[in-house]
Amino acid sequence: MATAIAADIESASGSFSGSRRLSMRLLPYALIGPSVVVIGGILGFPLAMLVWLSLQHYGLRELIAHTGEWVGLQNFQAILADPLFHEVVVRSLLFTSACVSLTIVLSTLIALLLLRVSPVVRGVVMSALVFVWATPVIVTVDIWQWMFDYEFGVINYLLTQLHLGNFIHHNWFDNPVQGLGVIVLVVVWGAIPFVTITIFAGLLQVPSDIVDAAHVDGAGGWQRFWYVTAPTLKPIFLIVTCLSTIWDFGVFNQIYVLLNQRPSSDYFTIAIYSYRESFGVTQYGLGAAIAVVMVLILVVVTLFYVRETVKVAEIA
Amino acid sequence: MNQSKAWFSVIGLVAAVVVAACGGSSPQSNNPANETGTLTIWLMNGSAPQAVVDGVNADFKAKYPKVTVNVEIQQWGDIGTKLDTAFAGSTPPDVVELGNTLVAKYAAAGALEDISGKKPSFDNSSTWLQSLTDSCTLTGKLYCVPYYAGSRAIIYRKDYFDAAGVQAPTSIDGLLTVGQKLMAAHSSDPNFSALYFPGKYWYAALPFVWDFGGDIATQSGGKWQGSLNSASSQQGLNTLTNLVGSLSRADKTGDEAKQDQAFAQGHVAMIIANGWEVGVITDKTNGNPSLADKLGAFPIPSHNSGQTAPVFLGGSDFGVAAKSPHASLANAWVQMFTDSKHMAEMATVGGVIPNTTSMLNLGTGINSTFYNAAKNSKFVPNSQNWANVENANVIPDMLVKIFTKQQTVADASNAASTKIATILNGG
Repeated sequence: MATAIAADIESASGSFSGSRRLSMRLLPYALIGPSVVVIGGILGFPLAMLVWLSLQHYGLRELIAHTGEWVGLQNFQAILADPLFHEVVVRSLLFTSACVSLTIVLSTLIALLLLRVSPVVRGVVMSALVFVWATPVIVTVDIWQWMFDYEFGVINYLLTQLHLGNFIHHNWFDNPVQGLGVIVLVVVWGAIPFVTITIFAGLLQVPSDIVDAAHVDGAGGWQRFWYVTAPTLKPIFLIVTCLSTIWDFGVFNQIYVLLNQRPSSDYFTIAIYSYRESFGVTQYGLGAAIAVVMVLILVVVTLFYVRETVKVAEIA
Repeated sequence: MNQSKAWFSVIGLVAAVVVAACGGSSPQSNNPANETGTLTIWLMNGSAPQAVVDGVNADFKAKYPKVTVNVEIQQWGDIGTKLDTAFAGSTPPDVVELGNTLVAKYAAAGALEDISGKKPSFDNSSTWLQSLTDSCTLTGKLYCVPYYAGSRAIIYRKDYFDAAGVQAPTSIDGLLTVGQKLMAAHSSDPNFSALYFPGKYWYAALPFVWDFGGDIATQSGGKWQGSLNSASSQQGLNTLTNLVGSLSRADKTGDEAKQDQAFAQGHVAMIIANGWEVGVITDKTNGNPSLADKLGAFPIPSHNSGQTAPVFLGGSDFGVAAKSPHASLANAWVQMFTDSKHMAEMATVGGVIPNTTSMLNLGTGINSTFYNAAKNSKFVPNSQNWANVENANVIPDMLVKIFTKQQTVADASNAASTKIATILNGG
């Protein structure tokens, strides 16, 4: 049966004429064409507009008149000379690395745990994770804000009741380091479900015979994870790290909502800073220039992951 | 959607914008009953009681039966962004209520209709409050109609004062002493604030700066110089920091949005507030009506005993969008809202200071304190860039840094002064 089909395919391909060969070669391009056009329209056009805007002086008057004033690289010079901008970039990078590393480590631990628990517990945890993921971010951040509220927050109440100190009227956002810690917590909490489920799916693909063989050879739990499981999951780790970096670098909602839409400059990440310059002080050109720099930083940071992912794909 | 379609729609949109921008004249008709159209009005949350707005719309409907009026209530928090995007679009709201510190920015950007020629058509325009008229005026032209003013005083709990055996203070030192006595009398309540002062409440911080002779910024030779770091400003800020540190358990990083609810809950003896906030505190659904006969008010005292501190004169104006296709109807609606009948309602029902000096006698009872406070008032720097200082949160950020002890008064006020000067001078 199988040989008969193979023979059919061979005879079919053998009868291709020259023009059909050409159309077959063009077909992949034709198929991918619409996607390229759509992606170009949806992503490329706004990006080009952003770059174009970043090269202009574009205030409220220009916005209302729909015409900007060309200033070349002046906006970029202005932000590079701004000490606040340097501070914001460093803060964004630290914030992103804290969020990404916590997300990956915690998600991996939860995924490994899910492998060992009973199907009922697994079902409950998975549903809880999907629930967290499915809830709109504004709603969850609002709830977090109430929990961390200065006067009426349940966190302060619980910590005090548990005799962990006097947290009555403890202001979590007094000290920016502590406040950013709370924001990292909220961001990581929201990021864990997707990453956990992805890593868990990957764990299911790790061949159990190799793990068992390592076990027989005397490898401990940590060795089995590090030398057997982790290398198999490398492509998945690369992709979730890359995606998390992109998402966490652009975090906006959590900071903006937690701080009542008026974050002080100690809480500016690059996304908030860009928004503040654009919509707060109506310097849309300057805001666009910050956004362009943000895209460039992201490209540099994610380039590493993308290269590694491509390498892994080539080996596979 | 493919690219050519996308381009067609872009071209279509641009064309629509151009057509809308060019064809802005409304059909002229002498008979109001035949006028048609839809007016979109943006009013700010908390400004006018619903009853007054409904009354204005009912009167408008009676005169213009075929015109639909949509009143949309906006929030103060993000209004700057919303106004920017609305005015940039082809169909901005026809009438907007603008905070008096925001008008210059939108007038300078060409967003508002120049109504200089129509001034006499508005009731009481010869007796409008000077400071509101000034906020509507840019390079000699009138861009908005004064709506109402508000000035702050201290609302206090008479029962708490009686129980602690204290009187309304007449100096800042007296305020501190009275506050300390109240704190002592309520020492068993860990949530109690003698003076509830949220950290970002910059409108309430300015009187202390002004009282010692300080200011936000001064202009000389066409250039702005930040002055929150002057010796007198710093003296005011230090005095305020001491008051807040001793008397307030409000959120040092929060704003004043929750202060009326906090007051209504009973753990607060004094707040710095506008007259209309009495209504919010005693509101039947969200407030505590039983406080109605326990509330009193006194002006923010000066450091000079017996005098009062200058207060910030807040308020709102009505602007008509330059791009409005129904400018004449929009002006007719504003004329109706600011006529004598409805302004009197704003004063008596809304508890705000009406737009005309001819009605200042309407402030009676507790309201008279707020009306009187307006007589010793000051305003923010009159610059089209001032709104950007507000939107950049420069003063609230400075106050938070001082109150949370992240920075000294000197460092925080130096940084804020530099930032304010940069923004005001157009950078």
